[in-house]
Amino acid sequence: MLKCTINGKQYAVPEGASIIEAFKLAGESLAHYCWHPALSVAGVCRMCMVSIEGNPRLQIACNTMVTEGMVISNQSHAVKDSVKWVLDFHLINHPLDCPICDQAGECGLQDQYMMFGKYTPEMAMPKQRKRKVVSLGDRVVLDSERCILCSRCVRFTEEITKTHELGIFHRGDRSEIGTFNDRPLNNNYSLNTVDICPVGALTSKKFRFRQRVWFLKEKKSICPGCCTGCNIKVSYNSKGVFRVKPDCNPDVNGYWMCDEGRDLCEKTQSVDRLLKGMSKYGEEKWQEGPALKFAKQACDDLSALPSSSVALVLTAQHTCEEFEALIQSFKSKFKSKKVYYWVNRPEDFHKFDGLLLRGDRNPNTVGLLQILEREGFKSTWSELLSDLSSGATQGVIVAAPEFPSFYPDFSEKLYELSRAKVLTCLTSRPIKDRELLPGQRWLIPLKSFLEKEGTFINYRGVQQKLGTPLELVPDAMTLSDFARILSGDWLERQVEPLGSQNVINEFMKTPMRGL
Amino acid sequence: MIIERDRAESAWYLPPIVSGLMLTLHKMIKNLLHRKEMLTLNYPEEKFEYSPRFRGNHVLTVKKDGSLRCTACMLCATACPAECITIEASEHQDPSVEKYPIKYEIDMLRCVFCGLCEEACPVDAIRMGPEWQRPGTPTDSFIYGIQELAYRPSLKGGITSDVDDQERHRYGI
Repeated sequence: MLKCTINGKQYAVPEGASIIEAFKLAGESLAHYCWHPALSVAGVCRMCMVSIEGNPRLQIACNTMVTEGMVISNQSHAVKDSVKWVLDFHLINHPLDCPICDQAGECGLQDQYMMFGKYTPEMAMPKQRKRKVVSLGDRVVLDSERCILCSRCVRFTEEITKTHELGIFHRGDRSEIGTFNDRPLNNNYSLNTVDICPVGALTSKKFRFRQRVWFLKEKKSICPGCCTGCNIKVSYNSKGVFRVKPDCNPDVNGYWMCDEGRDLCEKTQSVDRLLKGMSKYGEEKWQEGPALKFAKQACDDLSALPSSSVALVLTAQHTCEEFEALIQSFKSKFKSKKVYYWVNRPEDFHKFDGLLLRGDRNPNTVGLLQILEREGFKSTWSELLSDLSSGATQGVIVAAPEFPSFYPDFSEKLYELSRAKVLTCLTSRPIKDRELLPGQRWLIPLKSFLEKEGTFINYRGVQQKLGTPLELVPDAMTLSDFARILSGDWLERQVEPLGSQNVINEFMKTPMRGL
Repeated sequence: MIIERDRAESAWYLPPIVSGLMLTLHKMIKNLLHRKEMLTLNYPEEKFEYSPRFRGNHVLTVKKDGSLRCTACMLCATACPAECITIEASEHQDPSVEKYPIKYEIDMLRCVFCGLCEEACPVDAIRMGPEWQRPGTPTDSFIYGIQELAYRPSLKGGITSDVDDQERHRYGI
């Protein structure tokens, strides 16, 4: 460890640390645009100027290593003056139309601009006009005028994804970010360039102009898209979930996440969800009803069957706590050993894209297998099918996957399972009529990963908790709720229909005179 | 506060009544002789002219070509203490405009006419005009959309904003 003094206070930092890392460790603020902890040092923005005792000139903190006994400061007048003029250079061609820009509110340049109060530019020449609203690919839009050429995105495609799409073209004040021959930036990690862009030059096509960032709240969660279990921050407000950003966790995902994972949050919106309990007998039409009542009736239906003829099918897209609760109440209720698990394409499990995305598209395969092993369930899928055709299994409870799109054989398998007399499907997605054979069918709406608490165990055995739950579909329940109903506890929670939760002006309800 | 008066004075109610009626008669004769100085109006045929600084119904200003000046930055919605402004932004086809509102609604029954939206607007896109009358019965008719705010008949094709994009670009903003 090296001893150094930062702004008058003593700190010890590891050897080989740069001054900017020392500032981060010390918790001191230091303006910077081009430096990113996961990328190489470029030293192009010149914002992180510091004064070092004994050194006549100011140095950039990102490319200067800490030495023993170094005395560093960024509070001196010389440093502040230098940063002010560097900022003025950045603003020579940067348009000051923050009201339009999508980065406003979380923009490094805007923060510094407000801090130094440089409202009128000192440059007499007109601003250099560049290309605006350039589509770089399916997900990213570039505004060259707003770019300050920090080269973070270029280094990202060179060092992290190693796809080398982006580069800086032309020279001087005409330099701009672009792709060679206008080839699209379509790798699966392209939205990370939007996250690391310190200004509003790179924006996400999906999120662009949909919400102002100061209207959004953030919630931490775990991405359910594959067994890596990236840590995520979900931005939401009362109008829904708007975007997903990676949360730094050096043990799991570092600073990044893939674009596919970001798309999953959209599927938690109520348009794609099963909102109510559904039931059907034989060739009748589907009937809708409150989930709790239907769950209770489904449990009564299953209990009416001989207890050894009921099977439980689990998929690895739910939390450990839910599996535990459902298996325990299934065991005590039916005394049956018929617990099966269903995963997507096990032949893809070894696949890995080299960065984060893995072939196993279930967030909790390890957790499910651990619980099944502990409980000693070893039944195979073929046993289930033979039992179904012979009639030894008449009732099936399926905890369907939250994202059936990862299960290419989802409809086929569900069709096979619907040979059972009573099928209770716990699902968060609507299921089409043609996917099921006639019989007694129950569909119970499940909560999505944003709406529940619990633990996912990733491929390396790292246990990660989902954050505080949101409420998106009020009628939906977790597998643990269903387990409590199965074991006979009627849930105390009385779910009211969505409309009644809104405040209605009583005066407006009564008809006014003269109308 | 109760003012106690002498018994004899309060017992005689006729003199004050006569003096009151005299005042009424005086005003009536004065109004008949000087009709233009009369304070009352035949509302709604006649309307009172408020000063241009009066904070009445909102006006969305327009550019020279007649399109909306608003850039959908949502600073008015952020500043609004009554949370009565709803804006939906969208991508404009012209890259130099970039962003514009496809929906701009003000719930006039929620609005407290404080004028903070007008102050917050960086491009002079929203003003509060001198109009204030707008009777109506159902609640829906008090949610004003773009058509109502920028192009209602009384504005005669829209009020042009003071802020011009070309000028702003020339000054490097």
